[in-house]
Amino acid sequence: MTAYLVAVGIVALIYMLLTLGLNLQYGYTGLINFGHVAFFAIGAYASALLTLSGWPMAPAFAVGTLLAGLAAWPIGLLSLRLSDDYLAVVTLGFSEAVRITIQEERWLTKGVQGLPGIPRMFQSLGIGEYAEIATLALLVVVNAAAVALVVHLVRSPYGRLIQAIRDDEVAVEALGKHPARLKVQVFMVGAALAGLAGGFYAHFITYLSPDQFLPLVTFYVWIAMIIGGPGRTAGAVAGATILMVFLEGSRFTRELVPGVSEVQLASVRIAMIGLALILMTLYRPQGIFGERKE
Amino acid sequence: MTTAVDFVNLALNGLVEGLLIALPALALTLVMGIARFPNAATGDYMTVSAYAALGVQKALGVAIAVAAIGAAAAGIAVALFFHLWVFRALARRRPVASLVASIGIAFLVRALLTLFVGQEQQTFQVALVRAWNFGGVRLLPTDLYAALGAIVAMAALFALLHATPIGRQMRAVADNPDLARASGIRAGRVMLVMWACTGALCAVGGVLMGVKAVVMPELGWELLIPAFAAMILGGIGSVPGAVAGGVLLGMVQELSIPFVGPSYKIAVTFGVMLAVLLLRPRGLFGSAPAAR
Amino acid sequence: MPSNRTRREFLATGAGLAAASMLPTLVFAQAGATFRIGSLCPISGGGSSYGSGMQKAIEIAIADVNAAGGAGGRKLELFSEDSQTKPDAAVLAAKKLIEVNKVQAVIGTWASGVTLAVMPLTDAANLIEMNCSGAPAISTEDKKDLVWRFQATNDRFGAAFAVIAEKRGYKRPATMAFNNASGIGNTEGFKKAWEKKGGQIVASVVYEPSRPSYRSELQQILAAKPDVIVTGSYLPDTTIILREWYQSGQDVKWIIPGWAANPDLVKALGNEVCEGIISVDSVSNENAPSYKSLDAQYLKATGKSLSSNVYAAMTYDMVICIALAMEAAGANATVAQVNAKIRDVANPPGDKVSSFAEGKKLIAEKKKVNFEGASSRLDFDQYGDVTPDFGVYVIEKGQLVRRDVVSI
Repeated sequence: MTAYLVAVGIVALIYMLLTLGLNLQYGYTGLINFGHVAFFAIGAYASALLTLSGWPMAPAFAVGTLLAGLAAWPIGLLSLRLSDDYLAVVTLGFSEAVRITIQEERWLTKGVQGLPGIPRMFQSLGIGEYAEIATLALLVVVNAAAVALVVHLVRSPYGRLIQAIRDDEVAVEALGKHPARLKVQVFMVGAALAGLAGGFYAHFITYLSPDQFLPLVTFYVWIAMIIGGPGRTAGAVAGATILMVFLEGSRFTRELVPGVSEVQLASVRIAMIGLALILMTLYRPQGIFGERKE
Repeated sequence: MTTAVDFVNLALNGLVEGLLIALPALALTLVMGIARFPNAATGDYMTVSAYAALGVQKALGVAIAVAAIGAAAAGIAVALFFHLWVFRALARRRPVASLVASIGIAFLVRALLTLFVGQEQQTFQVALVRAWNFGGVRLLPTDLYAALGAIVAMAALFALLHATPIGRQMRAVADNPDLARASGIRAGRVMLVMWACTGALCAVGGVLMGVKAVVMPELGWELLIPAFAAMILGGIGSVPGAVAGGVLLGMVQELSIPFVGPSYKIAVTFGVMLAVLLLRPRGLFGSAPAAR
Repeated sequence: MPSNRTRREFLATGAGLAAASMLPTLVFAQAGATFRIGSLCPISGGGSSYGSGMQKAIEIAIADVNAAGGAGGRKLELFSEDSQTKPDAAVLAAKKLIEVNKVQAVIGTWASGVTLAVMPLTDAANLIEMNCSGAPAISTEDKKDLVWRFQATNDRFGAAFAVIAEKRGYKRPATMAFNNASGIGNTEGFKKAWEKKGGQIVASVVYEPSRPSYRSELQQILAAKPDVIVTGSYLPDTTIILREWYQSGQDVKWIIPGWAANPDLVKALGNEVCEGIISVDSVSNENAPSYKSLDAQYLKATGKSLSSNVYAAMTYDMVICIALAMEAAGANATVAQVNAKIRDVANPPGDKVSSFAEGKKLIAEKKKVNFEGASSRLDFDQYGDVTPDFGVYVIEKGQLVRRDVVSI
């Protein structure tokens, strides 16, 4: 049981890291990124491929994180030229282009056959089942560091500027600051967090294939952020937890709902997520824990 | 070797696919122009309509053209329902609120459909005829009908927008909502008509796509990204733009196959979209600036 | 499942997962008395048309074994999860089966991606894994010989296609593959086998899933004037491709895997379009008594014939194999001891048996048995893979008529 909860916890923390990244981009800066899964995929594949070719894990993670951040650079530049709606669609298209590239460049990624046998974290220490607990602990630390980073960013003069961009870009410009550079940087930091999450994901699932990186992942992260309340760091933490409890909890609720077959249950689960999203936007736009602002 | 005839055939395929993409792109661009948000549930409105047409055809044994009326009724009903329940209430909020809600609607609609109709594919009963062959250039009759259907729907929309009072009001709201309100246009009615048009477009699109391919709960969802791309390419809010964007994307996609293969063709459309946006941030026909 | 009651009460309090952490003591309380089997079928997602039937067949098998008094002195207990046909969902489901339900075998994984993601977990816990996946990588990743494959590998499918194409005298084959591991595996397996026979492929294409049309892809293939097109495809894309091919009017034959060329395809396209299409599937062991008895039970449980779901016969056999191995390994055998007996009870030599009860009796008489499954003869090679026979069906006037059986 403990190990199962640890596993669920690991996945929740991976989603949390993703949500923190998106929250930094959208919640604080107002950058609409619907291609989050692309950076997740880049981080996952980079780290997996490097460790499979014999690299130690730490530098592989670093490279994955870095690559994801760098991949966000051109998109960040583009975000300066495009308004919200255009950016939403462009990023969505970008994530599909990344997925197709991963799928097609078989010499590198083995394409649709996928990459099996990715090493687990802390496996080489020979500490058996404690390896996963160690992974969980590391994820907690990484998430805490990410939260600290975000909070620091937000509270710094830099961060106040970021939030000012979201609220009134022209005014910021009038102050003689460069919102453009800031926005690109924020975009890259958010993407790097997604890349880091990808590294953890790759070494936890141990098998990667392109169809694990569909836009659905992006939508899940958006859902987590919306549930928790955009622009709230604690919200990202709560949102990811609730999403995970909801997705995994249904394994245990099956026995509670008689007369619903498992096929139907899968549909009911998605329907509930959709309904939650509608109701949240309608009635709790500040997230479930936030105070009403709008 | 790819010959000239092959390229003509590819272009034809692209044209038909593009026209079919243009329908949801039109539905998107109408909502974008008047309600001002990207409606991610557009594809799922199509799916509902396609299943409605299937149901009518199975129950009554009528021709597809007749069944399409049932589809239109379903499409319009769904579009109006979610407008009245969700989007109307979100009208004063930032567009992203409506966007997120529309993703929720997309999930909800698709999941409910799956729950009730199952995941197995269904097909319309269509008589299959051999293609007309003009010196190697092949024209499939079903493709021709699909293209004609799409063109008729577009023409009807165009006529509505340009030749009726409510159409002129819709355009006025799209151009300048404040001015429109000041000149006494009732925005509520305009919205209702706009959503009805959206539902009808989705219905035609859903049925044509269902006839050409197969009907499954993911039918419309899969078309969402290309439809978005077509709308962006043509310029948000522009009716001719959505059509041109759809056709251009369809043709680029198919014509790129000999060079990049059938997988990268999807990425190529993304590249074209990016290139156009970099050169012309408002899209091909866009009047409203897309850039900040 | 005695723990259900308690669990229900726990969850009814609304505490959800937090409450579930209180469960370990309850779980340990009942361990030991039964052998625990975890079923991880594709109930939802891409494999959903098979998943429910597969799980039903597992339930039937477990009832059969328990009705015969259990195996190796123990009854079998079933815990079921949904893999959602997705690797990440399957990993969590497998963790739950392994950690919460303490299962000793995970069976019924279907998509190759799911099996490849679940294998490292079962391997690490030294549990038996049984799947219906086709990817060749599964054989090489199985380092501890704990993984058993009841479905023919994609390579074997491809090889069967090549034998069939050769037998029927085709000279210019082309291939079309759906872009996933199984689709490409089939056509590449075919290419390998065909080129070994000295043949050549005149054209090949890999196409994307969920497209509204495959005309351009098809056009590329038809331009090479093949006499037969071999596919690694699924039902929706096959429907679209064949409809467009028929309208194009070009004469060509088709060899298509059985999961795509089935009665649903005929229903979607009509008799005329489908006439002459060759459908290839691993044949269940239809003349075996095990198949017949399962067919009757399956029909009763699901209202469908067993032939509508080849994987159901496989999952049924998984349980029977485990049970016979348990019987052979003796009372209170460990998972490793049971696993070591699987080849013994399934492969020749030995007396052929076709049900658990029959096998149990012979094992009690200290005889070596050779289980003839409902899905195939079930003879495992050194990788734990089976080599079923392949049925060659030709669609004639809307009916799939078996014309040949091919062994490779």
